[in-house]
Amino acid sequence: MNPSTQLSAASITPETLSTEYVSPAVCSFYETPGGFLGMRLNGEDYPRVVLTRALPLSLPESYLCITDVDRKELCIIENAADFPEDQQALIRKELSQRYFCPDVTAIIAIKEKMGHFYFDVKVGDYPMSFTIRDLAKNIRCTDDQIILTDVDGNRFLISDIGRIDKKSRRKLEPYLY
Amino acid sequence: MKQHPPFPDRPGKEEKGTFPPALLAALNAAGLNTDGLLWCCSGDMNNDGAFQDAWLCFDAQGLYTACGSAKVDRAKRRGKKLETTYTVETISSVPLTDLSELSTERYVSTGRLIGEENGLTVSLARFTLGKLAAFDTFARVFNTYRETGEIHPPDAHGKPEHRCRKCGGPCPPGMEVCPKCSKNSATAVRLFRFFGGYVPQIAVILFFMLLSAAVTVFIPQISTRSLFDNILANPDGAPAAELLKALGVLVGSIFGIRALNTVLTVIQQYVTATVMPQVTYDIKVKIFAAMQRLSVNFYSSKQTGSLMERIIQDANNIYWFFIEGVPSIIIESATVVGILIIMFVMNWRLSLIVTAAVPLIGLTLYFGDKLFRGMHHGNFLFRSKLSSMVSDNINGQRVIKAFAKEDEEFGRFSDVNEKYRRAELKLALAEATLIPSVEAAVIILSAVILGMGGVYVVQGKMTAGTLLSYVVYLEMLRQPMEFLSWCANWWSRCADSAQRVFEVCDAEPEITEKENAVTFENLRGEIEINELEFEYEPARPVIKKLSLHINPGQMLGIVGKTGAGKTTIANLIARLYDAKEGSVKIDGVDVRDLKLSELRRNIGLVSQDIYLFIGTIADNIRYAKPDASMDEVIAAAKAASAHDFIMKLPDAYETRVGAGGQKLSGGERQRISIARTIIQNPKILILDEATAAMDTETERNIQNSLAKLKNGRTTIAIAHRLSTLRDADELAVISEGTIVEQGPFRDLIERKGEFYRQYKIQQEALKAVGIADDSDAPPDAPPDGEEDDAK
Repeated sequence: MNPSTQLSAASITPETLSTEYVSPAVCSFYETPGGFLGMRLNGEDYPRVVLTRALPLSLPESYLCITDVDRKELCIIENAADFPEDQQALIRKELSQRYFCPDVTAIIAIKEKMGHFYFDVKVGDYPMSFTIRDLAKNIRCTDDQIILTDVDGNRFLISDIGRIDKKSRRKLEPYLY
Repeated sequence: MKQHPPFPDRPGKEEKGTFPPALLAALNAAGLNTDGLLWCCSGDMNNDGAFQDAWLCFDAQGLYTACGSAKVDRAKRRGKKLETTYTVETISSVPLTDLSELSTERYVSTGRLIGEENGLTVSLARFTLGKLAAFDTFARVFNTYRETGEIHPPDAHGKPEHRCRKCGGPCPPGMEVCPKCSKNSATAVRLFRFFGGYVPQIAVILFFMLLSAAVTVFIPQISTRSLFDNILANPDGAPAAELLKALGVLVGSIFGIRALNTVLTVIQQYVTATVMPQVTYDIKVKIFAAMQRLSVNFYSSKQTGSLMERIIQDANNIYWFFIEGVPSIIIESATVVGILIIMFVMNWRLSLIVTAAVPLIGLTLYFGDKLFRGMHHGNFLFRSKLSSMVSDNINGQRVIKAFAKEDEEFGRFSDVNEKYRRAELKLALAEATLIPSVEAAVIILSAVILGMGGVYVVQGKMTAGTLLSYVVYLEMLRQPMEFLSWCANWWSRCADSAQRVFEVCDAEPEITEKENAVTFENLRGEIEINELEFEYEPARPVIKKLSLHINPGQMLGIVGKTGAGKTTIANLIARLYDAKEGSVKIDGVDVRDLKLSELRRNIGLVSQDIYLFIGTIADNIRYAKPDASMDEVIAAAKAASAHDFIMKLPDAYETRVGAGGQKLSGGERQRISIARTIIQNPKILILDEATAAMDTETERNIQNSLAKLKNGRTTIAIAHRLSTLRDADELAVISEGTIVEQGPFRDLIERKGEFYRQYKIQQEALKAVGIADDSDAPPDAPPDGEEDDAK
């Protein structure tokens, strides 16, 4: 084997693959007068930053990538819980706006017509309706949660399939896989 | 409880920039002067991100945001919309002079309208994604007004919003009314239309089936009743010889009737067998033809497994129901009616009890249909997923083997297969429960009838022969009833398939040809791109106000980072997609006004994705020109540097390629695809990373061939490797959907801008790995030292 190849193969170790995360000591957030999220990182001010989840379904408050508005990465937060309470509140507010996803609490009816699935659901106390096409693509199931994406791209979450009533589950089951 | 507005847009006039009069009145009442409003837009969230009706509008003085509620009163019957009552709770305004450009931002499930107010970035409105297109238009109209003082409605060429005329919900392209608002009977009616061309054959099948049913219905009258009452009971005390003679006539009659019945059945099945393949063929052709019309977008949104299932399985499901199912339903229903009439004539009291059981069967059928429909759909989903998974696994075999993931893949397959098994089991169990319950009802009924009939025989109100034939008729009812109960299931399978088939047949291609489309007599190949804007999804622009001019016969090189929009430009020129705004003109004619076949015939596109169809290499090269001679095929293969490797294959040009054929390397496949384009002899040649999969030597050979072909045709070459563009007359550097630099190779190097930067990076990368590729030196480029100094 070529020595240089051996060297490069040996240099790939778990240590070299580690990612650097930013700590609350050098990074803090604030709300701009216009209602956006700003950040101070290593003494530098970023008047508007964007938070992106690396694992939006399984770990929504971990591995948060922070970019500027042009999507240039500034840093990564390993866990939002490492930050003080007030900072966590700002992070959560920004994430909830960016990843807005109403939680479906009951399914009233699902009607199918020509490849369109008309969902009448309840989000809390509010009855809502939406339409899904191409179920295989737009119903995503993880261990216990289901994400429904409607024709416009809006997302609806069933955060815990075990929590919705039996009637709702029975209506939804034929469409899950 | 308040009926909250659904995510999809309700019908409104905001897309045309106006509000309904009732809303204007409500806004006036709340203190907003609506007389001078220039453009309006409705939202469904307030600025805090909570669901609420919201309205945005502007006039010459300011931009206004109102929040409140819109209550839709609906008629009790069918929920028809009667009138909308608006309540305006809050109004806020921003003076127009304080605002600069507006823009929309798209988030995962929502969007936001953003503006600069006195230099401060502010959020003006939030909305769900269904409203994004309307808010995007609002921002564009507003920005144009700020710049020009004029209101320009969005470009008529822009992507149309597909909304239902009745409910305002999402609507498939080409349909005015969404599937939800279309009539229920439509599916059945449309299905019958599929069989419009086979009415005589179906009538023949039906005639023979009815005849056969009538014969069957009369057999017990002869075989059972006559045997018992006229022969065995011997009511007239006839001698044994006469009885035996009568018995012989009876047996002969039964034999004759059965033989006639068999002949009728054979004729009916013969006609069915001749019609059968033709109908299946027609349905598959209809689906396949509909799929060919559709635009690229349709295919990128559907899984291959699901589409294949539609052509093969769904067509069969429809066919079986109509050719086997419909005549059988008619026959069996007629048999039931016929038997009931005979039974009423024989004993009306007993028959009343029998008919009382009919609603029970009807209810079972109704609930069966509901239950089975959902289950069948679930099964279809699993089946599609299983097909997709197998196809995924086969295509990815090399990667699977390389990572030794065979067991994991098997596990993944087993998981889905197990879920499919469970779904199948669930359906089978449901069927196994429903059908015996209908049977059980018939058995109980038989016992009751036998008991009551026995009493009538003892009382002398009925002969033993009549009772026995009555019981035989009751037994005969069992089979049609079982069949009819199963038909609910059959129909639900057919309707489920039909809905999917209609979805394909009804889908309108996004790229359509105008009625009076222009054709070229002699295309020169001039390309002019004006202020082109394009996005695959609203508010995610891929091409931004891009303008470009390519003279006939010129070669333009397009360079840029991955995702900069280079391939999208090629797709827009070939009109695989339509621009959102701006235009692409060829010889001064907008591509949207051109005849599609003419346009595509004149544009040769060698793309990054190479696809070889099942067939020989020669067939693949001839794809664009099926009548090309072997001379032309060889010449094209030579021009594409493919001839040498083809000749090394045992079957040379007759080597079978595509799925299941000879394995070719990426570069070899690419060369065949270039030869395919060369034989097409297009006036405009687009090479989208056409030589990316090749070694430097092959690439040079092809470039030399392409350089010869360049004469007399306009060429657009997209490449990452900048050395491949040395021969280009002009280069355009694309970054984030717009041109950042343009000019000849040498000019761009001297300008030391973005192109020079990318060029240096590539050269340094080659040096770092010890490759000094002289070919990468630009013509008459300054020596390295000079470049570095200048830097």
